[in-house]
Amino acid sequence: MKDLRFYALTALGLVLFPFAIHPIGGYGGLATQILIVGIASIGFNLLLGYAGLLSYGQAMFYGLGAYVALLTVSRFFPQHPNFWLAIALAVTFVSLVAVAVGMLVVRLYGIYFALLTLAFAQMSYFLVFKVFDNLTQGDDGLQGIASPPLALGPWSIDLTAPLPALALGPFGDLSDIHYWYVFVAIVTFGVIAFSRTLTRSQFGEVLGAIRENEERSRFVGFDIARYKLAAFVIAGALTGLSGALRGLYETSAAPDILTVDTSGNFVIYTVVGGVQTLFGPLLGTGLVMYLQNVISAKTDAWRLIEGVIFVLVIVFLPGGVLGTLEKRRAGRRNIVTNALRTTPAEALPAAGEATR
Amino acid sequence: MRGLVYVAIALGLTIVFGMLRLVNFAHGAFYAIGAYVGLVVAGRFGLVAALIAAPVAVAAFAVVFDRVLLRRFYDKEPTSQILVTFGVAIVVEETLRLIFGSSTLPFPIPDAISGSFNLGFASYPAYRLLFAAGIILVVVAVWYFIEGTDYGLIVRAGVRDRTMVQLLGGNVQLASTIIFALGAGIAGLVGVAASPIYSVDPNTGFSFLVPSFVVVVIGGLGSFWGAVLGGLIVGELGSLTTLLFPAASDVVIYVAMAVVLLVRPQGLLGESEVIKG
Repeated sequence: MKDLRFYALTALGLVLFPFAIHPIGGYGGLATQILIVGIASIGFNLLLGYAGLLSYGQAMFYGLGAYVALLTVSRFFPQHPNFWLAIALAVTFVSLVAVAVGMLVVRLYGIYFALLTLAFAQMSYFLVFKVFDNLTQGDDGLQGIASPPLALGPWSIDLTAPLPALALGPFGDLSDIHYWYVFVAIVTFGVIAFSRTLTRSQFGEVLGAIRENEERSRFVGFDIARYKLAAFVIAGALTGLSGALRGLYETSAAPDILTVDTSGNFVIYTVVGGVQTLFGPLLGTGLVMYLQNVISAKTDAWRLIEGVIFVLVIVFLPGGVLGTLEKRRAGRRNIVTNALRTTPAEALPAAGEATR
Repeated sequence: MRGLVYVAIALGLTIVFGMLRLVNFAHGAFYAIGAYVGLVVAGRFGLVAALIAAPVAVAAFAVVFDRVLLRRFYDKEPTSQILVTFGVAIVVEETLRLIFGSSTLPFPIPDAISGSFNLGFASYPAYRLLFAAGIILVVVAVWYFIEGTDYGLIVRAGVRDRTMVQLLGGNVQLASTIIFALGAGIAGLVGVAASPIYSVDPNTGFSFLVPSFVVVVIGGLGSFWGAVLGGLIVGELGSLTTLLFPAASDVVIYVAMAVVLLVRPQGLLGESEVIKG
């Protein structure tokens, strides 16, 4: 029953989202972009929030996903461009890369992990940009590769087509929304459900145990490296999916999506929204991308503002926006369940707040 | 030549890691601050003044950063320390971009040292020779500070066992701050000294930071001579591949890193305890 309510509310939220951001200066395309990037943030959160692994290399999976999806359409199978094939090849390729890189990095201590993921992402950037520039068009990137229609049984849906015109007052017009949004929202729904199930499963519990106390988890008998590798590959695959969608949606990809800035963005989105929360990554992605959209239209200083917001969140809202809200609520609701839920060190200040 | 820049930047990273167990993503920002402060000061008072002012300014900035922000994260998990240094790196880089613009700025070499030295077998730009000599001097000085002075003793002991040094009356807190400022100061100094060779733009710090991470991973994070050895290896590999297969010159160092990780995960001269925490 509770599950049903959760999924119904999530679906409702995804339906209302593109209309809700309309009165505050958003638009259908932005909603689509936010969900696409949000999928990668959800994957990143599985890694950072649940496995405790801080990756500065997610751009590698994101960028490779975009490139492979577009190349599938334009170079590998130009005679039979197929949407599903593009996505499937991208996710498969990225997952294999994640396995290879993951085997090298997951055995190492947390700080090393951040350095190495960053370095491998940088390597993939140069590989795409300089070494395989015949395939990837180097600096120019892949341009103007129209997404194939979405084949669904007997139907073939053009994702760039708008929904029927229907004026909705301050919430815009139904035709602001393209089929892309509908598709991406369904995928996002699936990813949220996946993430929720995963974090509540035994696998999620073990990841949490490893994060809290790696040594003890090892002594209990868990194969730590295997769990971490699994988390790394799952996050990589989701990021690859996100990148593939982004490539097909934008119809282009340039080397700059493989840079450190892109990797850093997933970190910023997730941390601002709230690590270890189900909706935090999505919320953070939406919040920051929306602000970027509004602010960068007015001033060049957007990235500076983003940096300042990020630092302020780390210092003053360590759980991110959603994490802090949830903690407050939990603190008020019941000190005892709160104490049971969190680790002792976390529970104490929260309990103190509630009694004050 | 790049190798020497990596050596100096990696040196700062590695001594800070050794002392504070902190990986500083803002270390490239220190380099960039040094470069821009140097640019301004050199324009008014000459290169020598810039070589003094920049490291002092960057070290001062580092101390403020440490006291105001970083201190709050000393007892938190390492990932949140990385996050805060990453945030500060963005803020610094973007502030520099707003003040000085995104374009690449030239950093002229003073006429007195803009010529070439004749080494007998080849002639070499005088500035580059001075630069190389300067970096070697810095490496030796830092090594002496850590290995040869009483203060270095506190630092080295602090790396082994913080609590014990504190109980014995050593001020680990102060030693940490000094090491952090020292690492930053070196980055600032190199920021000035390398700028006539590589010019200055807001991304410059970061473009040196990532290869420097590779350097410390190859050499061994926390190892002094590892940083030196790693820097030279990475610099040489880059130059050699530029000659043989230019397209791969940026990739080869990461391949080297992957090989080292497979064969010797703690780095060439690193201690194995570091990688497991």
